[in-house]
Amino acid sequence: MHKIRVSGVVNAVLHLIISVASLFLASRVLKSGPVSLAGFFYIDALSAFFIITISIVTFAAALYSIGYISKDALEKTITGKKAMSYYGLFNLFAFTMYFVTAVNNLGMLWVAIEMTTLVSAFLVGFYKNKKSIEAAWKYIIICSVGITLALLGTILFYYTASRDGGITSLNWTEMVAAAGKLNPNVLKIAFLFILVGYGTKAGLAPMHTWLPDAHSQAPAPISALLSGVLLKTALYAIIRFTSIANICLGASYSARLFILFGLVSLAVSAGFVIVQKDIKRLLAYSSVEHIGVISFGFGIGGPLGLFGALFHIFNHAVTKSLMFFGAGNVVKKYKTSDMRMIKGVISAMPFTGAALIAGAFALTGSPPFSIFFSEVMILISGFGQGLYIQSALFLLFLAIVFGAVIHHISGSVFGKKPDDMPVSGEPLSGKIALAFLLVFICAMGCKLPALLEGLMSSAIGIIRGA
Amino acid sequence: MMAFAMVAAKRVTALINGFRLQSFFLFLLMLVLALRANSTELYIIMTLLCVTKVMLIPHLLHRVVKKIKVNEDLGLSANPTVSIFAAIVLVYLAYAFTGKIVTVPGQAEEGAFFVSLSITLIGLFLMIFRMKAMAQIVGLLAMESGMFLAAASVSGGMPFIVEIAIFFDVFLAVIILGIFVYKINSLFTHIDVDKLTELKG
Repeated sequence: MHKIRVSGVVNAVLHLIISVASLFLASRVLKSGPVSLAGFFYIDALSAFFIITISIVTFAAALYSIGYISKDALEKTITGKKAMSYYGLFNLFAFTMYFVTAVNNLGMLWVAIEMTTLVSAFLVGFYKNKKSIEAAWKYIIICSVGITLALLGTILFYYTASRDGGITSLNWTEMVAAAGKLNPNVLKIAFLFILVGYGTKAGLAPMHTWLPDAHSQAPAPISALLSGVLLKTALYAIIRFTSIANICLGASYSARLFILFGLVSLAVSAGFVIVQKDIKRLLAYSSVEHIGVISFGFGIGGPLGLFGALFHIFNHAVTKSLMFFGAGNVVKKYKTSDMRMIKGVISAMPFTGAALIAGAFALTGSPPFSIFFSEVMILISGFGQGLYIQSALFLLFLAIVFGAVIHHISGSVFGKKPDDMPVSGEPLSGKIALAFLLVFICAMGCKLPALLEGLMSSAIGIIRGA
Repeated sequence: MMAFAMVAAKRVTALINGFRLQSFFLFLLMLVLALRANSTELYIIMTLLCVTKVMLIPHLLHRVVKKIKVNEDLGLSANPTVSIFAAIVLVYLAYAFTGKIVTVPGQAEEGAFFVSLSITLIGLFLMIFRMKAMAQIVGLLAMESGMFLAAASVSGGMPFIVEIAIFFDVFLAVIILGIFVYKINSLFTHIDVDKLTELKG
């Protein structure tokens, strides 16, 4: 028992160190340009931005895991040995995600993304009951098929790069340099495969079907990682290919596809959020919604639209993690994830209840929280470019999700708590993790740190193919 | 091609043997390519292909089948005749698609790309219309074989390290899927994927 706690603390400290290191790395990238290691690793502003996002969410999840996992072990849901293997898988999972963002070779990028699926499948099926195994199976099969299509896209990219571009490597840096010479027809089809393939992993509708199952069955800290950053690593891969395609095809081709998939995701998630009864599935569908928002932002484009999309990636990562942590506490306490059974969280668990309700408003884009600002940036950019119908639809779906999420969450947070429910049971590490994320959500709404702003500005240049 | 035999197969073991034979032909093709280009890298890839796809993976799958004593019936939601017909349509689609992409017609690479695309599509078909978990694994493997052939045909092979990494990855994927099949079987006492319907909405 003691051993599990200690390894949890060690794990959290380790990820704190990684977070600090990633901040240093990012400021170096910003000051003196991209860092490259033997041509194999290549970290520019775009990668650094993703690395910071990953490290912050991973640190929060590591912190939250301390209380969560030792409670699982205490209640004999899992054995001590299993708890130790959790931390092993946790770190492996984090490592593969860092690997995705740091690698230069687009083939290795594919391998890294498949590795994230394989490792996290074990974490999704962690509790080894019928539901979680079913979720893990669907997750691994759907995502593997999806990224096999992405592999076909990668092969086609390589085909035209070696035939028309005259290069024999899959390195992103060289592909971008030769992008002007590529064959536009092949590239169009290849990009479609990439978008559908990696889009499956990113949770874009209609390829999102694995997502609610996997997110709802995984342990809460893992749900936060899946939703907060794993989806973003797949987006990262799409962005890398987009910047090659944009140079060759112009921005309008990818933009139309992004807007289409973004709006479909928003529509699908809006429908499912309204009728949802399970709190973790609610949050999972909200992830589909936010991936739709980000995709829409990339489609709108323009400096402001792209800035909004990138900013939204960060905001969604921290906010959704906060919500999953809160939901994890609630599910542990009430022993159910059915929101009709969960009433009066605010009186049973004051801290979690407050965090949940603040998080729900933040998640649905209320000021003064940070998501509000990124969504407004995307909207301004959309209306500014004369995309009135698309932007109006975007706004409509956001409004639906806002109403539905607030209705569901407030119904659970307020109300009368069950009489036999004791007040307490919020582990300290969980509280710290919630507070840590809450600080980010509020602070980013007021003032954007210069480091992050600089990173995003230069990342926009990379995406636009400058 | 062997893909047709796989579509027609009614039982799990037949399916796995079909996959093994397909991999063997893929291996022969790579051997021809390697002999022609005389490059060490192709020889290594070819050897790896032989060891993993022809020997190790089918062997592993057979062992899992034996261990869980699975009911041999594949759970066809489309019978063999219909399936073969569907496969022919898919092959035609692949042919039409290849004509659009490969800009220089009438070359060997066009033919190989067309075959590889057909295999990929048929693999996808297997995954959708066969209800046993094992069949989905084989379908995924067939898709991957198709990809592999595509990579070899359109570009003379991807960079070496990438090929190796993809191999490793696929091998790992099969092992992990095998573990999950095992778990599904012990929890549900069957591996019918169409009965995994608890999670909805």
